[in-house]
Amino acid sequence: MNSKKWLAAFFGTALALALLIPVLNVLVDPFGVFGDVLFHWDSYSETLNPRVGKLEYLDRHYEEYDSYILGCSSTSSFPVEELNEYMDAKFYNLFVYGADMLDTEDMTRYILRNYTVKNILLNVYIDNGAIYDDPGIDNLTGAMHYAADGSSKLGFYGKYLLLGPRWSLDKVERYFQNRLFADAFDVFDVTSGTYDKRQRDVEYIGDLPEYESRPAYAEFADYPTYTVRLTKTGPAMESLRRIVAMCEDAGVHLTVVCGPVNAGYMEGIPREEAAEFYRALAEVTPFWDFSISSISLEPRYFYDLTHFRNCVGVMAEARMFGDESVYIPEDFGVYVTPENVESLIERNDRLLGTEPDRSDYTCQVPILLYHDVTPDGSVGVSAGQLEDHLRALRDAGYTAVTFDELQAYVYQGAELPEKSVVITFDDGYSSNYQYAFPLLEKYGMKATIFVIGASVGHETYKDTGLAMTPHFGTAEMAEMSDSGVVSIQSHTYDMHQWGPYETGPDIRDGVKRFPGESEAAFVEALQADFAKSRGEIEAVTGKTVDVLAYPGGVYDDLSQWALSECGVRVTLSTRHGVNTLIRGLPQCLFGMYRIYADGYAGGDELVAAIDGLLAQNAE
Amino acid sequence: MDKLIEILRSVCPDVDFETETDLVGSGILTSLDIVMIVSELMAEYDVKLDVDDLVPENFMNAGTIHALIERAGSK
Amino acid sequence: MDITSWRFPVFLLAALAAYVLLPQNRRWWALLAASLLFYACGGAAAMAYLGVTAAATYIGALLLQRLNDRRAAMDQEARRASRRAHDRKRHLTAGAVCCVCFGMLFAVKYWDSTASALGLRPLGLVVPVGISFYIFQSVGYVLDVSRGKIRAQRDPAKYLLFVSFFPQMVQGPIDSFGHLSPQLLSGRKPDADELRDGIQLMMWGFFKKLVIAGRAATVVDAVYSDAGAYPGSVIAFAVLMYTVELYCDFSGGIDIVRGAAGLFGIELAENFRRPIFALSLAEFWRRWHITLGEWMKNYVFYPLSLSGAFAALGRFSRKHLGGMAGRILPTSLATFIVYFIIGIWHGANLTFLAFGLYNGVIITSSILLAPLWSRLKKALRVREDSGAYKLFCMARTSAVVFVGRYLTRAPWLKMSLIMLWRTVFDFHRRRLIPGILALGMSWTDLVVVGLGCAAVLTVEALQERGVRIRKTLASKGALVQWLFIFIPLTVILLFGALGGGGSEFIYGRI
Repeated sequence: MNSKKWLAAFFGTALALALLIPVLNVLVDPFGVFGDVLFHWDSYSETLNPRVGKLEYLDRHYEEYDSYILGCSSTSSFPVEELNEYMDAKFYNLFVYGADMLDTEDMTRYILRNYTVKNILLNVYIDNGAIYDDPGIDNLTGAMHYAADGSSKLGFYGKYLLLGPRWSLDKVERYFQNRLFADAFDVFDVTSGTYDKRQRDVEYIGDLPEYESRPAYAEFADYPTYTVRLTKTGPAMESLRRIVAMCEDAGVHLTVVCGPVNAGYMEGIPREEAAEFYRALAEVTPFWDFSISSISLEPRYFYDLTHFRNCVGVMAEARMFGDESVYIPEDFGVYVTPENVESLIERNDRLLGTEPDRSDYTCQVPILLYHDVTPDGSVGVSAGQLEDHLRALRDAGYTAVTFDELQAYVYQGAELPEKSVVITFDDGYSSNYQYAFPLLEKYGMKATIFVIGASVGHETYKDTGLAMTPHFGTAEMAEMSDSGVVSIQSHTYDMHQWGPYETGPDIRDGVKRFPGESEAAFVEALQADFAKSRGEIEAVTGKTVDVLAYPGGVYDDLSQWALSECGVRVTLSTRHGVNTLIRGLPQCLFGMYRIYADGYAGGDELVAAIDGLLAQNAE
Repeated sequence: MDKLIEILRSVCPDVDFETETDLVGSGILTSLDIVMIVSELMAEYDVKLDVDDLVPENFMNAGTIHALIERAGSK
Repeated sequence: MDITSWRFPVFLLAALAAYVLLPQNRRWWALLAASLLFYACGGAAAMAYLGVTAAATYIGALLLQRLNDRRAAMDQEARRASRRAHDRKRHLTAGAVCCVCFGMLFAVKYWDSTASALGLRPLGLVVPVGISFYIFQSVGYVLDVSRGKIRAQRDPAKYLLFVSFFPQMVQGPIDSFGHLSPQLLSGRKPDADELRDGIQLMMWGFFKKLVIAGRAATVVDAVYSDAGAYPGSVIAFAVLMYTVELYCDFSGGIDIVRGAAGLFGIELAENFRRPIFALSLAEFWRRWHITLGEWMKNYVFYPLSLSGAFAALGRFSRKHLGGMAGRILPTSLATFIVYFIIGIWHGANLTFLAFGLYNGVIITSSILLAPLWSRLKKALRVREDSGAYKLFCMARTSAVVFVGRYLTRAPWLKMSLIMLWRTVFDFHRRRLIPGILALGMSWTDLVVVGLGCAAVLTVEALQERGVRIRKTLASKGALVQWLFIFIPLTVILLFGALGGGGSEFIYGRI
């Protein structure tokens, strides 16, 4: 090939490759503006640019919704499920991260023009007063959809048509890394429009020092120093005024809220500017203020400084719709009009400097763990030893409570006895019926027994026929449950496996994945196992099964999520310690700590150990 | 000439000044060597050399260096 | 205009078309127009700096030319008599031009850091692209005229083209007037071979700059921004990546520039000669950024070494120190000053002073220790021409360069030292891979950078052994030649950090 031919070959090849780029961008479609025909991966394009991605998604699915939530990223934590029930509506959470009022205005105008809209919930977050019409946005990832802000259609498609090939390659690469839970590259739950917080919301949360010691929450232990100046309150409120007018014209029911703000973040905002923000907001429209309350003072109600947890959003919605069945702190949520705005400002200022009284919403509960009960104590505890434990607990003033009572404390804010303790037995041995049940009745102590479904009523291992410690059967289960003294809950149906005694191809390590098992297959297997366990127990006892003790105490986020999806509200690990319950925060019931009571020879020793742990953890 | 070779050798003991013909082009003499040679020559022969003289052509081999000194002496 | 944006090839093609279409004696117009257009993208201030530099050096050179011409017209006797006066005038004129040019450079590039150190008011001037390069090149021209090596250019437009020729504007090479200007003005039409060679060189440059350097940069930026947070192994890896990034980015950029100039049939000076194969630190610096080194040699090192002060110092040290040490003291001092200036040239920062010091000390001490070293080699019967010995020298040089890199990138000197300390005493081998992955470099990136470096090393090793890569390639069959078009283009398109591609996620924490 001489150099002239070489040049021809070069320019030919270069031209062909250059033409392939738009083809690649249309096919792989990282921003989802060309229909994403190959991947149908809305969450990915929404994550890259939510302003574009969410509208593209809605253009295809708007018929499934009739109501919208709008605002910046903290708005994600207003869950749609509860709202749908309260308002008998079909909500989509159209929040986008970094949204200023102008973004929200553009979005509102667009949905009012193009979709059927009944209700809008609008979160005017305090830092909407800080940024308006931000010039620093990235043209690819931060710019608004052309159809919403009236910019050039040609420019819009042009920029996504001529993307560098890296965008597409990244998408393909990540497609194969994608997990069930959210990754940095797909953070949205597609149908609700909220952030996918499945993993964050099953994370165990207990006592505060431990919480603040985690790297993710370090900012709560030591608030960073910065200042957020609310210099854009004026234009933001003008924009809000236009939104209110648009909704009135369209006959749409608009609810304006001011979302919960962490006290540490609020410290960076000059008080007078915040006051001006509330006044200006009340001037434009009445609104529900959730910004400052006792919630603001408690870091465990926040994902980070600027994002309150989903469970807090549940409380806010319950307050607005007067749902009495949900725990809500008394000072959380005020309906604000120009008449009472000054008293709100004064109250918020007063609240901000204070420390919360944590005894209002937290308490400590030890959970005791027993297994087998034998006459001589050769395995587990002896009957005499157990009796001594129960006596000592009673004498020390402890009340044995059930998991239902713990749930009522967390979900409804019910009270618990001053000194509460939970007694649990794992595995469901016959000895529990023979020795423990009568003793519990005698001392008026309630307990929970976690049965392994496959072992109920058996004395041999199911596959190998080898002898095992006898387990009680359904008749004993029914009798104990009916007595009201013992609650029967799940220890899985058949995920409590022990190598030498099983014949299956693989032995599970508790409720965890086999090596190489897909996430979907595992979740299905675990949920099927639990459904079977629950079905059999509920058939016998007629009472709800929503507590599970993890076999071997082993679990991970995926198993925790899969079980909470099936309605499991409490799970128990075998980690040593006492538990901190937090009202309104369901995660404090996940993977709870227990105390191996077997190990304490006498009741007084046990009580001393419990008292020691409680004192150590006192908040 | 012998005196020159001796001086050159005292500055750069590893270089064979008698046989090499292109000391600069072949990379044997670096600018450091050249400056050291030049300052040595200026001291020994009491001549003044200029920056303009420091071109590769003048340092190709012992012969060209010799010619350079002759010229400088007559300036 | 960024030479790695898609606009650059388009711009280049347009300029080339204009160049070829014009009649031969007007072709340089196209180059001048393209150059001014290219630089105008940098804004009015950038144009002003360029204009001042061009004007000062243009006028200065004309004045010097007149001085030289007058002296040339004298008879032998008068010439000898006027020598001192003539030299003084020459030096004054050249000195004035230097003052204007370097004064401006200082104001733009160094004033703010100096002012903040002295507590004075910073100017906050934006440093325009390539200002150091064209100032050095233009000053070199003035000094060449002063020395009578070349004649001054009388045509201001033609001179402006020499100052502003667009491909080399961004990062050199710093060429000499005698070499560059005739080529710019020749108007020679490039032949197909030159076009092919230019394009190939550009592709090679894009490969090094975008595929290797662009990827290596992720780790480098992250670690240097917060070096205290990483274990020694990750820091060492980042410094290694920085070394790779620096070489691939700079030499890749130079290849793009030389390739682009080659499209117009213009051969720019070589700036890198495979520095990895240097046997000593001094040789490394003769292979790295060659044109700057040449400039320093011709306009700083030689004049300094031959100056009266240094001659006096030489006499003094010879008398009082004697032997080798006495003989090389002035040379060492001059060497040292050169590296010091090179250090400052790179950045107005204490770390660069330390960098200059580091190189200066090592090179001067290696001269001082050379006799000892050769005695040691003789005692150990090391054969200097053996491959093993050369390999040892290369490794030694690379290690010295590698350690030197700790000094150049950190925001302040203490940070460099902390990083060095951590590398030695706090290495944590096991945390290397997780550390790298956490920094945003994926396995793909690691593999691409690794293979890319292997390709660069292979090519350079072949070149070092005298293989002419492009010539060899041209003798192969059509398919092979086409594959060497297709594969590089695809690799650059897919793996190059083109047009800011690659998705960053604002919301990283879920």
